[in-house]
Amino acid sequence: MSSSAVEPDFPDLVCQLDNVQGMVDALSSVRWKRHQDAVLELSEHGIVLIVEDSGCIQAKVYLKRELFQSYDYRAEGRPRFGVGLGLFVDCLNTFSVPGHSSTIEIRYPGPDMQLLFKSVDSPDACTYAEMRTRIPETISWDYNFEPAGSTPLSFTVESAALKEAIDDLEWPGASIQITLQPDPPCVTFRGEGHGDLQIDFMYYANIDLLMAFQCDRRISYRYKYKFLRATTSNIPSSVIRDNRGSKLTIGRGGMLKVQHLVSVSRSSIQHPHIDSAGYQQPSRIAYIEFFVKPEEEDESTINDS
Amino acid sequence: MKFKAFLTDNGVNLLEKRFLPALDKMGRICHLYLTRDHAIFLHNLLNGDGVQSIAQFRKEALFDDYRISSQNEDRIAFTIDLALLHRALRSSVSISSTTTTTTITDRLQIKLVKKLPPNSQQPMPFLSFESKGYKSAVIQDVPISKPLSRADVLELQSALDMAQDLPQTLVQVPDLHQLQSFVDRLKHVGDLLNISITQYGDLHLQVSTTLISLGQEFRKLRILGVQADVPPSNQNMSAQSRTEMAIQRGEAMSVQVSMKHFAKSLQCHLAKPDCAFYGIAPQGACLTVIFQFFIPGTRQTDKSISLHCRLPVLDPGS
Repeated sequence: MSSSAVEPDFPDLVCQLDNVQGMVDALSSVRWKRHQDAVLELSEHGIVLIVEDSGCIQAKVYLKRELFQSYDYRAEGRPRFGVGLGLFVDCLNTFSVPGHSSTIEIRYPGPDMQLLFKSVDSPDACTYAEMRTRIPETISWDYNFEPAGSTPLSFTVESAALKEAIDDLEWPGASIQITLQPDPPCVTFRGEGHGDLQIDFMYYANIDLLMAFQCDRRISYRYKYKFLRATTSNIPSSVIRDNRGSKLTIGRGGMLKVQHLVSVSRSSIQHPHIDSAGYQQPSRIAYIEFFVKPEEEDESTINDS
Repeated sequence: MKFKAFLTDNGVNLLEKRFLPALDKMGRICHLYLTRDHAIFLHNLLNGDGVQSIAQFRKEALFDDYRISSQNEDRIAFTIDLALLHRALRSSVSISSTTTTTTITDRLQIKLVKKLPPNSQQPMPFLSFESKGYKSAVIQDVPISKPLSRADVLELQSALDMAQDLPQTLVQVPDLHQLQSFVDRLKHVGDLLNISITQYGDLHLQVSTTLISLGQEFRKLRILGVQADVPPSNQNMSAQSRTEMAIQRGEAMSVQVSMKHFAKSLQCHLAKPDCAFYGIAPQGACLTVIFQFFIPGTRQTDKSISLHCRLPVLDPGS
């Protein structure tokens, strides 16, 4: 291609995506309420979408450049802009045709700093969109996640079971205490409010449920139910169907990190050979991360360590 | 005032499986207008707002032994609850399907009656369904409104005549299901839909709000009526500028309709039409959708059945 000096108006990013539904799924998983402002950050590595709520929870969706069929990035620095998450998802969703694989082109910025979308696979039926962007609000970056000690405190649990457990904890509500203990290796979710409910995941009792567990000392933190729920409320059905695990890690100060993996592979209808081989390109995964701050209270009483 | 007829198997099938589910989506209450030759289901023809829909059947398409008489040139009209009508038809079908041994006597009679409902002194009008089985007969009475007065029937007839105006240019929608799935998603983005139709066979749908404009353009569709040659410069333009230019050249029309109305009109796919055409009435008076039905096993239009909708225009547009 010609250099940027010859084409000064070349947009920061032109990329093509052939699995719109995968991207819709990935972005929907961080949509936990009606009106959410999101910040998009573009870089040579891909697109990151960040949402934040009440200074207590932050979620990020990483769409690596490998997810895209083509990814032509020409910006200097990392352009950032704000969009309404709901509108962004609804807009993308109109490009997803059930039963067809549809390829779209995403371009930024348009003449008026818009985010531009258009379908590219059929010349005689074209879908297009122009979405206004905002100057992003400053994101509080104090979600820096640091390990709590030399051994990471983490566990991987079947996503469906995690969602089910968190849904069940709705009735005691209010705040949920998560406890990890090494002996016997066990993760406990405990809700106290209108009543008590405790859900234990025993590591050795059911390896299929709790797939991995790492903990060298007892640790316990409380989290607001509504933020904990946000981490699984919109988890895509494809994640449940693929029987994936979600990884939870507790970092310094009790910061909880929840990670999901969402497949953005091409639809198996079009590429049966990929599916029949049971092979999925590992790069075609969108990473979802939630960071939930613990409730502030006298930690010493809860924390045994 | 008398009306009595036998519904044919084909008629029962058309109504029960296809038209009543579709018409019910347009609105639960509608006018049923019976003339010497036609039975017509009409929505919103006498009250201005809302989607007008007109489903017209030649009597042979639904009935045999069709008898109608009234002081008003043998025309009878009343309002009826489509859900009740559907329920009555459905259960008549289930009764007759359980008495398969008596195929000949197995006919579904439909007639207009006046009966004294329980706990009432006033006789009320009903559309009565009578299915005769081998050993039993089942009668179902669907309550209807009082038949329309002569003046009201005249008004209905003139509204019906007015609604027959065809747009100059009609374009055929390639895939009704795909359009419906698109509109189902588009509903989340905005409430108002701009529709442009060009004489080159382009159909352009667009939602435009302060935050987003989102659209879909279909090109090179089949055209009925007035058409024009595609200007050579048309190829490399965006959908919006193409439409704007066509409007400036006087070779396109554009109107704005309610998204809700548009989505509703697409529910007519439940009647399983074989093709659908969109057009804009002269002066942008309304958006017209015409559904066509083929004679089974052919690609010839079945003239005995017709269904079309007229969507009110919110902004006269250009």
